[in-house]
Amino acid sequence: MNILDTVREAVRDGRVPDAATRAVLGQVTDPAVLRQAGRTLAGLALDAPGLRPVSVAVLATCTIGPYEQMLRATLIAAGMMPDIRPGRYKMFELSLGSAEYGETDMVSCLLDESYFLPPQWSPVDIEALGEYVTQRMVQFRSILDSALERSSTTILLHTLPLPGTVRDAVISWRDRARLSRIWHQLNADLLALVDHSPKIAVFDLVSALGERAVVARDDRLHRYGDLPFSDGALAIIADQTRRFAQARVGLSRKVLALDLDNTLWGGVVGEVGAQGLQLGGLYPGNCYRQLQNTVTMLREQGVVLVLASKNDAELVERTLAEHPEVVLRPEAFSARMVNWQPKAANLAAAAASLGLAVGSFVFMDDSPFERGQVAAELPDIAILSAEGDPAHHVRTLVQHGWFDVLDLTETDKKRPELYRTKARRADFSASFGSPVDYLRALGIELLPAEATQFTVARIAQLASRTNQFNLTGVRYDEATTAQWSASPDHLVASFSVRDRFGDEGVVGAVWVDCGPEVWAVTNLVLSCRVLGRDVEIAVAAWLVAKAHTAGASTVEGRFIPSGRNGVAADFWTRAGFARTDIDGILRLDAASTVPSPDWISVSERSEVNS
Amino acid sequence: MTSPHTVEHTVLTVLSQILATTADDLRANPVLANYEWDSYSSLEALAQLESDLGIRFDLRAFNAASTVDDVIALAA
Repeated sequence: MNILDTVREAVRDGRVPDAATRAVLGQVTDPAVLRQAGRTLAGLALDAPGLRPVSVAVLATCTIGPYEQMLRATLIAAGMMPDIRPGRYKMFELSLGSAEYGETDMVSCLLDESYFLPPQWSPVDIEALGEYVTQRMVQFRSILDSALERSSTTILLHTLPLPGTVRDAVISWRDRARLSRIWHQLNADLLALVDHSPKIAVFDLVSALGERAVVARDDRLHRYGDLPFSDGALAIIADQTRRFAQARVGLSRKVLALDLDNTLWGGVVGEVGAQGLQLGGLYPGNCYRQLQNTVTMLREQGVVLVLASKNDAELVERTLAEHPEVVLRPEAFSARMVNWQPKAANLAAAAASLGLAVGSFVFMDDSPFERGQVAAELPDIAILSAEGDPAHHVRTLVQHGWFDVLDLTETDKKRPELYRTKARRADFSASFGSPVDYLRALGIELLPAEATQFTVARIAQLASRTNQFNLTGVRYDEATTAQWSASPDHLVASFSVRDRFGDEGVVGAVWVDCGPEVWAVTNLVLSCRVLGRDVEIAVAAWLVAKAHTAGASTVEGRFIPSGRNGVAADFWTRAGFARTDIDGILRLDAASTVPSPDWISVSERSEVNS
Repeated sequence: MTSPHTVEHTVLTVLSQILATTADDLRANPVLANYEWDSYSSLEALAQLESDLGIRFDLRAFNAASTVDDVIALAA
């Protein structure tokens, strides 16, 4: 079902679209979809529950056109229920100067160049044009003053593009430059109005249009309907207005929770070590460094930072403190949730310890699994993807304006430190329950398979690269792995995992010395990509059942601490194995049934080893 | 290239949504003046059809369209 159908269904049922639907709508940039969604959403009652009410008067020097629908869709997507009050056509100055909108939350003004230009002007007297534009600006400011005297409502304005049809009608290069200077001065004067009154806000439409390469005008609609802005431009204006409204009604986010591996730096620190991370220097390391710089800028403006990483805490602490290219040192974070617990539980705990609602969080992570888990468990958290090319990470973080505030206060600037102190008192060592419902919804499949000539290379690669879930640290090379896989006294098996997010491929392997009585596991490795789903327990269950079928009476496991494999320290005991007199050796009766998690289905692959 | 059937279907879908009616009603009674076909709704239809069909209308011809069939013919 596409987004419009979902919105229509909700409105038909008299419901506000749920958080997930609104999040999708918030990502829509197609103006045609926005206007349709806005028209449909007009069917919702103004007192619909769950949305923050906001009243917006729209005054325009032109026709408002589809702006109302786009604005409604954009505001509802952001969690607001707008009461939009369009002003009367051709009554801009009177409506504004008399503040006939009364006390609304904001006035959104749509301005076009016709308001500041004379109906006719001489291209050979650019100086006279400049004087006219200056005078119009003086008049506009006095109308604004009149409005501000009569109402406490904040007025939202924007800069104006100078249409090519105006600029290019001047054929002298020198005069055209002068005309552009006049226009830049007009826009500078509009922007300077924020210092004229705290009840005026201005956004820079000109740069937003240029950045997105949107055609600002459809000449047909301009001439026919007095619509000076194309639908694409109106969508940008609606989005900027949404950013302002979000801050105005208190829906801005306060907390940025960040993953580490492949989000704040390139690579998995537990695998490649601090020295192997991509951070700083040339591409792609410069992308991660720039992201850290931008996050630092957000922090300086009061955004509270939380670290949410599945990693060994000690390694992360050391890397953050000592890596020369790290910008975000440990103290930059008000809370550091570095452990192997589900991230949703970690974020909920961080919110509780900071005394903030999860609805004030933005969460950025490269893993679709983690983002999906958080979205399912905590739908009020805004989620940003750090998947794919890291060159886009900074834009992904800032373009939506999640953290916009109307004005920075001294409290804002001190907020990260205040929250850090608060969070220090909290105890993050508590364990959290598994989000079993989410795991069940994933439809995880484990596919064990005895090694074949096609998988031996990948299995050996896993042995060499896996550091965290690596039980004994024995790194079997390709030759040994191939030899064992062909031997009747040994077993080498690979484990693939797939779920609704896709196929992870071969993510684990086991090497077993198969004696007549005892099957001894000499190593078992699992990529950290699949940890936290109890895949390893399903692996143990499969292995023990296989040993039993082969006639063995005992399965023997080993664990040799390496300093990096703490995540796997309790694996054998979690699978039901008992410690023996020999340190690091654990045993289980092969006739036992290891309780495999019910959210993982196991289907053994039998591949031809030709 | 968009097939004539798809064009007709798109035009009927878009117009029925904008004019708050059904495709069947539009087929049975294709004169646009019988619905709330004003300058606003016609511009909305124009923008929506251009977006959905990837075409550009001549506004003069579009304004001259008085029936659903006229619009389909212009879009085809």
